[in-house]
Amino acid sequence: MAALEIQNVRKTYGGKTEVLKGINISIEKGEFLILVGPSGCGKSTLMNSIAGLEEITDGAILIGGEDVSGRSPKDRDIAMVFQSYALYPSMNVRDNISFGLEMRKVPKDERTAEVERVAKMLQIEHLLDRKPSQLSGGQRQRVAMGRALARKPKIYLFDEPLSNLDAKLRVEMRTEIKKLHQNLGTTIVYVTHDQIEAMTLADRIAVMKDGIVQQFGTPQEIYDEPANIFVAGFMGSPAMNFIPVQIQNEGGGLVAKVTTRDGRTYSLPLGERGACLTNYVGKQVTLGLRPERVTQVNPHEVERADVMVLEAEIDMVEPTGPDTVMHIHLNGTEVSCRVAPDSAGKLGEKMNLMLDLSKAVFFDIESQARIG
Amino acid sequence: MRAISMGAHDRPEATAKAKGGLAWLERWLPKMVLAPTFVMMLVFIYGYIIWTAVLSMTNSRFLPSYDFVGLLQFEKLFENDRWLVACTNLGIFGGLFILVCLVLGVTLAILLDQKIRQEGAIRTVYLYPMALSFIVTGTAWKWMLNPGLGLEKVVRDLGFESFSFDWIVDPNMAIYTLVIAAVWQSSGFVMAMFLAGLRGIDNSIIQAAQIDGATLPKIYRRIILPSLRPVFFSAFIILSHIAIKSFDLVAAMTGGGPGYSTDLPATFMYAHSFTRSQIGLGAASAMLMLGGVLAILIPYLYSELRGSRNG
Amino acid sequence: MVNQTAQSSMNWSRINRGLIYAVLLTAALFYLLPLVVMVLTSFKTMDDIRSGNLISWPTEFVFDAWSKAWSTACTGVRCEGVEGYFWNSVQIVVPAVLISTFLGALNGYVFTKWKFRGSELLFGLLLFGCFIPFQVVLLPMAQTLGLLGLANTTAGLVFVHIVYGMAFTTLFFRNFYINIPGELVKAAQLDGAGFFTIFWRILLPISGPIIVVTIIWQTTQIWNDFLFGVVYGSGDTQPITVALNNLVNTSTGVKEYNVHMAAAIIAGLPTLLVYVLAGKYFVRGLTAGSVKG
Repeated sequence: MAALEIQNVRKTYGGKTEVLKGINISIEKGEFLILVGPSGCGKSTLMNSIAGLEEITDGAILIGGEDVSGRSPKDRDIAMVFQSYALYPSMNVRDNISFGLEMRKVPKDERTAEVERVAKMLQIEHLLDRKPSQLSGGQRQRVAMGRALARKPKIYLFDEPLSNLDAKLRVEMRTEIKKLHQNLGTTIVYVTHDQIEAMTLADRIAVMKDGIVQQFGTPQEIYDEPANIFVAGFMGSPAMNFIPVQIQNEGGGLVAKVTTRDGRTYSLPLGERGACLTNYVGKQVTLGLRPERVTQVNPHEVERADVMVLEAEIDMVEPTGPDTVMHIHLNGTEVSCRVAPDSAGKLGEKMNLMLDLSKAVFFDIESQARIG
Repeated sequence: MRAISMGAHDRPEATAKAKGGLAWLERWLPKMVLAPTFVMMLVFIYGYIIWTAVLSMTNSRFLPSYDFVGLLQFEKLFENDRWLVACTNLGIFGGLFILVCLVLGVTLAILLDQKIRQEGAIRTVYLYPMALSFIVTGTAWKWMLNPGLGLEKVVRDLGFESFSFDWIVDPNMAIYTLVIAAVWQSSGFVMAMFLAGLRGIDNSIIQAAQIDGATLPKIYRRIILPSLRPVFFSAFIILSHIAIKSFDLVAAMTGGGPGYSTDLPATFMYAHSFTRSQIGLGAASAMLMLGGVLAILIPYLYSELRGSRNG
Repeated sequence: MVNQTAQSSMNWSRINRGLIYAVLLTAALFYLLPLVVMVLTSFKTMDDIRSGNLISWPTEFVFDAWSKAWSTACTGVRCEGVEGYFWNSVQIVVPAVLISTFLGALNGYVFTKWKFRGSELLFGLLLFGCFIPFQVVLLPMAQTLGLLGLANTTAGLVFVHIVYGMAFTTLFFRNFYINIPGELVKAAQLDGAGFFTIFWRILLPISGPIIVVTIIWQTTQIWNDFLFGVVYGSGDTQPITVALNNLVNTSTGVKEYNVHMAAAIIAGLPTLLVYVLAGKYFVRGLTAGSVKG
């Protein structure tokens, strides 16, 4: 039985603007689902619909097998951590955590015990008597999580909970949320626009755009086998390279033709990855190649059939620390390459680069969907 | 546009499919809470405006009657010398009052914004008249302007024996004494509005202008004053509203006199409706006052709403 | 050379600042003068008033005018001072302020946190109530109060002030609550709190500043009202502003300016005190909604 099942959910505002266009998602108990997408994609509306804060126009939402679509938020057995934390300003931390229990008429001694338990788990025992205004951003974040945890609901909803924290704290809290999930085995739905958060935290990711789930799968599936150009471009940083190429049959195998800026043309051997492209011989497709697959020449790999070395002029160099991103041009498109800092060339130089096509993906130019 | 659609997302709603009494209650509670206000507003504002409009088309005198006479009362109004004087007075009084308040308000605000010592105390002094009733203001100024014992005597005691200041009993000048008292009462408030506006201006804009080499007067003329435009409009609306409604000040200071030389539409309306038993005429004058307010308000609200939609 | 220009610009700026202070202090005198004159006059005898001038110091401070204004001066036909009218005003102000503030808070809460289709339009219509000249409702309201038996009663005046004060109180609370994040209400909903619980437990406890602003605004408005008082009150139920006006303008015989001034100060004192004690909030109340729109 699914912990959360979203069946063909639609949401229309004022009979005109369709924000959710038939969403279908199902996750098991204990799974960590991330809804990710650019702003305006409908992910927050979907989360609010799960919470019952917005009514849906059509479809059904099932929690633990029960249809809760018609129920008010408080009867859905969910808890939510908000982007702004939404701590009650007039109450101290203790009252903030126990308010939900009080509303559910939990006896006072049980409430006290529960507050103690949660505070200990999140290490905020020393903050219990403070007001939210006396807390730092990270502490507020913890209290907001404490408030959700105290109720032990069926599902936890997180609405961009880390976006108000500075970079360092964000990474710390990310780890902490992941640990919490692993230790408690809770079912979590988490909204973010940060694809790194999505990759690191999720068991399952739903990538959304324009009110439609573009792809629903595990982080690795989404990274390696993106359903379309949008998903491929949205997940991963620097973004995947999209190179328009012509597919040709050469010497019994399929190749993709690329031309460097100085006019030299190379035939990239597609090997097994080309198997799905038999219908596209002589046609243009978009080749998707992640930056880490365009890198310095590693001698032990160049022998592989799906690897090709070419020489290109460097247009830009951006050191990031662990590796350096360089830009070159292939088929008139800017291509970023991720190379080891020691191997990086200088601006304007020519350099040999190795293209590894073992993870290459291809997209139809018309439909933008992945081929194969 | 974006702001509006975000607002729609924010609204917490009870769910449509909810059934049963409790959910029904949840859904209707906000509307029920607003209902008394809604009814009161409908009856006591809009209903009464219609009622007054109806009265203005009857020949009601001491008591309301419902013998309709069309627009006769309005015709009478425009043949009524006292009404025409009241309207002229409103033009003089309103125009001067608004102008002086705006000039004084913006000047004092700019000067007060120059890191003045004791700014808080000075501000308090400028603003305290606003806490007083126009009746108190009128009483005080009536005494100050008393010909014989008032300011006239102060100046004469200084040695200017022939000094004369008797505007308040001069039918041609009395209307200007109302301007003095009204400015005294309201200009501090206008100053406070402009000061709030000045404090709201992003300091980095001024710094950028300084770096560009602009002098202080130039910064004020080219950057700061133009950005106070909305405050000018708000102050204008509030001041013209005060001017049109002005009733208590006249009642306390001149009682409309000498003769009816300082009558304003508000005192005209009161006199005809409640002491001279001309309810029909009074209602007609009230409708024209409403018309005057709307003529100023509607363009303002229109531009405000359009502005906020763009922003 | 450079030093010299710096020096002269220093001098200029000093002269400028001197000018600024001179203008500001002159303006301060203009605003203070009437109050000083009122206070000085109220402590003089009539002889003192005739022999001196507005700003001359009293030859001796006497409280006769004050006691007369409070308890024996004639306001129209009756000669009982303004005391009774002062308490009339108190009886009108207290319930009218409390009720209109409470209703404004509830309305503002609904208009911001429980919007529904048409609620914005409703608010716009209500806002219009802030701007109408009250002359346009005077006659029908007089009729209605007569029908309800509320004509010339304190209850009637309280009612009128509530009705026509609500547009403002609602505006104040709405502008305050609109800046409170909606997520707070959502969080409380998920925690299981209902409409009134959210209002009492979450919003009201943080509404302190706006409650003070609204109460101050309403108190000064209602205390200073003259129009409703003169139309809907009579005799026993008139507020102090009406009594003061009667005292000053309808008294026959010798005009006792010292009594007039004492009565005027009595009428102005409560709002003046409110202003001095909570001036900060007063300014905020005055500019709320006008600067921000």
